[in-house]
Amino acid sequence: MTETVTPLRVGVPREVHQGERRVAATPSTVQRLRKLGLEVLIQSGAGEGASFLDSAYAEAGAKIVQHAAELYGMADIILKVRAPEKLSDVDVHEADLLKENALLISFVWPAQNKELLERLANRKANVLAMDAVPRITRAQKLDALSAMANIAGYKAVIDGASHFGRFLGGQMTAAGRVKPAQVLVVGAGVAGLAAIAAARSLGAVVRAFDTRPVVREQIESLGGRFVEFKFEGETGEGQGGYAKQVSDAYLLAEQTLLAQHCAEVDLVITTALIPGKPAPKLITSGAVVGMTRGSVIVDLAAEQGGNCALTEPDRIVEKYGVTIVGLTDLTSRMAPLASELYAATVTTLLTDLMKTGKLFIDERDEVHRGMQILCDGDLRWPPPKPQVRSGAPRQPAEAAAKPHHDKHAPKPVSPWPRRIGLLLALAVLLPLGMWGSPELLQRVTVFLLACIVGIYVIWNVAPALHTPLMSVTNAISGIILLGGLLLVPGASSSITLTVAAVAVLIAAINVAGGFLVTQRMLKMFHK
Amino acid sequence: MPQSLATVTYIVAAMLFVASLRGLSNQETARRGNFLGIVGMLLAVGVTLIALLQSPVTVKLTHLGVLGAATAVGCLIGSVLAARVAMTSMPELVAILHSFVGAAAVLVGVGTALEGRAHDVAHAIETYIGIVVGAITFTGSIVAFLKLRGTIGSRPLVIPGRHLINILLVSGCIALAVLGGGRKEAVPHLLGVIGLASVLGAHLVMAIGGGDMPVVVSLLNSYSGWAASAAGFMLGSDLLVIVGALVGSSGAILSFIMCKAMNRSIWNVVFAGFGDTPKAKAKGDEEQRPVQQTNVEETADLLLHAKSVIVVPGYGMAVAQAQHPVKEITSMLAGRGVQVRYAIHPVAGRLPGHMNVLLAEADVPYDIVREMEEINEDFEKTDVVVVIGANDIVNPSALEDESSPIWGMPVLEVWKAAKVVMLKRSMAAGYAGVENPLCFRENTLMLFGDAKQTVSKLLTAIAAKMT
Repeated sequence: MTETVTPLRVGVPREVHQGERRVAATPSTVQRLRKLGLEVLIQSGAGEGASFLDSAYAEAGAKIVQHAAELYGMADIILKVRAPEKLSDVDVHEADLLKENALLISFVWPAQNKELLERLANRKANVLAMDAVPRITRAQKLDALSAMANIAGYKAVIDGASHFGRFLGGQMTAAGRVKPAQVLVVGAGVAGLAAIAAARSLGAVVRAFDTRPVVREQIESLGGRFVEFKFEGETGEGQGGYAKQVSDAYLLAEQTLLAQHCAEVDLVITTALIPGKPAPKLITSGAVVGMTRGSVIVDLAAEQGGNCALTEPDRIVEKYGVTIVGLTDLTSRMAPLASELYAATVTTLLTDLMKTGKLFIDERDEVHRGMQILCDGDLRWPPPKPQVRSGAPRQPAEAAAKPHHDKHAPKPVSPWPRRIGLLLALAVLLPLGMWGSPELLQRVTVFLLACIVGIYVIWNVAPALHTPLMSVTNAISGIILLGGLLLVPGASSSITLTVAAVAVLIAAINVAGGFLVTQRMLKMFHK
Repeated sequence: MPQSLATVTYIVAAMLFVASLRGLSNQETARRGNFLGIVGMLLAVGVTLIALLQSPVTVKLTHLGVLGAATAVGCLIGSVLAARVAMTSMPELVAILHSFVGAAAVLVGVGTALEGRAHDVAHAIETYIGIVVGAITFTGSIVAFLKLRGTIGSRPLVIPGRHLINILLVSGCIALAVLGGGRKEAVPHLLGVIGLASVLGAHLVMAIGGGDMPVVVSLLNSYSGWAASAAGFMLGSDLLVIVGALVGSSGAILSFIMCKAMNRSIWNVVFAGFGDTPKAKAKGDEEQRPVQQTNVEETADLLLHAKSVIVVPGYGMAVAQAQHPVKEITSMLAGRGVQVRYAIHPVAGRLPGHMNVLLAEADVPYDIVREMEEINEDFEKTDVVVVIGANDIVNPSALEDESSPIWGMPVLEVWKAAKVVMLKRSMAAGYAGVENPLCFRENTLMLFGDAKQTVSKLLTAIAAKMT
């Protein structure tokens, strides 16, 4: 294209949340972004917590910008980890810094952040939430939540082990036998499964609890024992593979079961979350009292209120001799890895958005639509119900999809070809009906039916067979040989005979050549 | 032999032909399909000959002898052609065979008219349609044949006002047909119609660009079927009508499927070709960008260290007959545990399914040969893509540059792979005459030279490194 479009600017600010060390871009994703034709701005010090220096970003081709306000003012696309919040030093909210109609890609948690949505809507922002990636196979590369959960699960075990005064694995030593630690993992989502794997690899004996019976196999595949839980007429399986909220009686039964298991284990890791709701209080204070002194609980749900009744978010406390880790920034404590994985998902998303060469959020695309929170300030959340089908191909989520940022709307199909076709058909059929002989009409019938048969027979042909198919139809159309033969009876002149003989000759070339060459080709195809 | 028995045999032959086409649409049943086609043809010809022998109208034995001899000679020529043709020349063979059907249809039409069988309006119309379609098929196929052989250039011949010329030619045919009618004496008219239709056929195909050849070949296939069908109408043979319609509609559908694969409408291909789309190529700054060249040694190392390799063959591989060494390389890599696959674009080569045939000839198992839809998502997970003599089908401007003549055509997205090695004779543009920005990508390495020589050297280099 000859038009000179100024490249879109991607801005990556320093995270302002207390203790947040992650960053939404690494030097290597900066390179990927630049390959998309984007200009990248990084706020000075953005990657410091994750051990990425400004100089590394600059080397990758990013422009370093000192102040957040300056960065927000220039960027068309903002990549962040945490949802925008108030800057701590000055009385400014990040959302208010956004350029009008800019695109924000970050975790948003729209259900819990109504006020933030209003602020963003005021800026006429476009918002894609990394926490709203649909759980379908095609979107796995974008699944930032799973990437973070995986890290959190691992880190939970490592932190739990560091607060636990014994080995996790069993040992036979000269000084005596050490029994392996018992670990209970509550909630076998991505974080839970990662925790099972990490605890197992340290040698602990792991059991895992989940209300969704379908995860049993996954737990067992990692070497954990599935804690059976049955309750009349209800399972905890909700939409899209997430857990759902359950009745009070159901919750009570869960709590009782977990209290029994807590009494038997040394380390409890809880990961139970319900989308858009406070975390269920599965570990009651009674259960904590019942635990052995020196045991540890790591509550990964602390940010959503915690799975344990005694969890204090962002703090490590000791209650009844049990250490309860309520840290909410476990992923941030592994900032280099977490940043790398998060930045990769965000970059993949941008690559997908830019696949037409321009920034385009395709509302017909299940993934884009699912993540879309705001479109030019209009609320688009929650999206229509997701298709519960893994590996689902692109489904038109809404009939009236309105493309924005780009004009690739398909042209409406012109009605004229169809109308002309109808007219032509009439022009042929009408005279046939008026003056055609019965014999002719019968032949037309045969002809049309044969056309239809031809269409249906060929419709699903494998592309690899196009050439053999063509050469066989070629041979078959040598049937015109019969035409030559049929000319002969009653031929009155030698010219006719000659004409017929030549027709037969060349048609015969066709028949023999076509069939033989097809045979030759087909012999070569093998599995 | 009673007439009804002959008719029943014809019905059986028609069913066999349907079964034959059906069989050809699947790898497992393809060979049986071909066999059924042969049986159907033998039945049809045999029964017609017997019927001729017994026909109430006397047929001189010498006449039958002539016909028999003609059939035998034709079969002999056909067999020799089929046995000797190289797999890479398959497109030419198919095109020239189409022209035979067209010529035969014209001859049958002429014979019918000479015998005065086109006595009423209906028969006259049928005869003229048969002749016109036959003549278009004949000359169109010859032009296609010449284009495929490279005797005449692949560029579309775009004469100003060519649509008007076409309309005039068609009107001329109609006028002559009306004037001549079905009279025995209207030979000049008949020859005039043949002449005009021949010019029309040649002109139509001349105006279509080389990149559209697969579609053209399959369209001509379709025409040859319609010509046979028209002959059936003339001679009152239901078998001819049915078989012609089968071939005609299957060829049409095949063309339609291919047009969809190129994101074009069939009308656009038939009446315009690439010549009609605006040639927007005035970007001086982009023409002179540097490309990264590589050599055989580097490529060998790259391939040996890759975990996954996808080979994208194009017409260049066919021309250079490089499929055998390519297959050797890929089996060696596969033997080392490298995941090797082939990606085939629906319009790679000059004939639908061309690449599949070549790879099959080289003994590549067909389960590692993937179609575009199956493999396009996998390129980004692939370490090395080797593009051998393909150009337009891997051209990123189809997706990125709205002014490109091939804009909107689905292509193999090879540039998403970590590295692309592009084997190419020179920096010349592809068949569609469009420059390929893929050459200038950062992850693209160019390996210049004749495909066969380069691939053979690569094979030697890899073999040497593996021992």
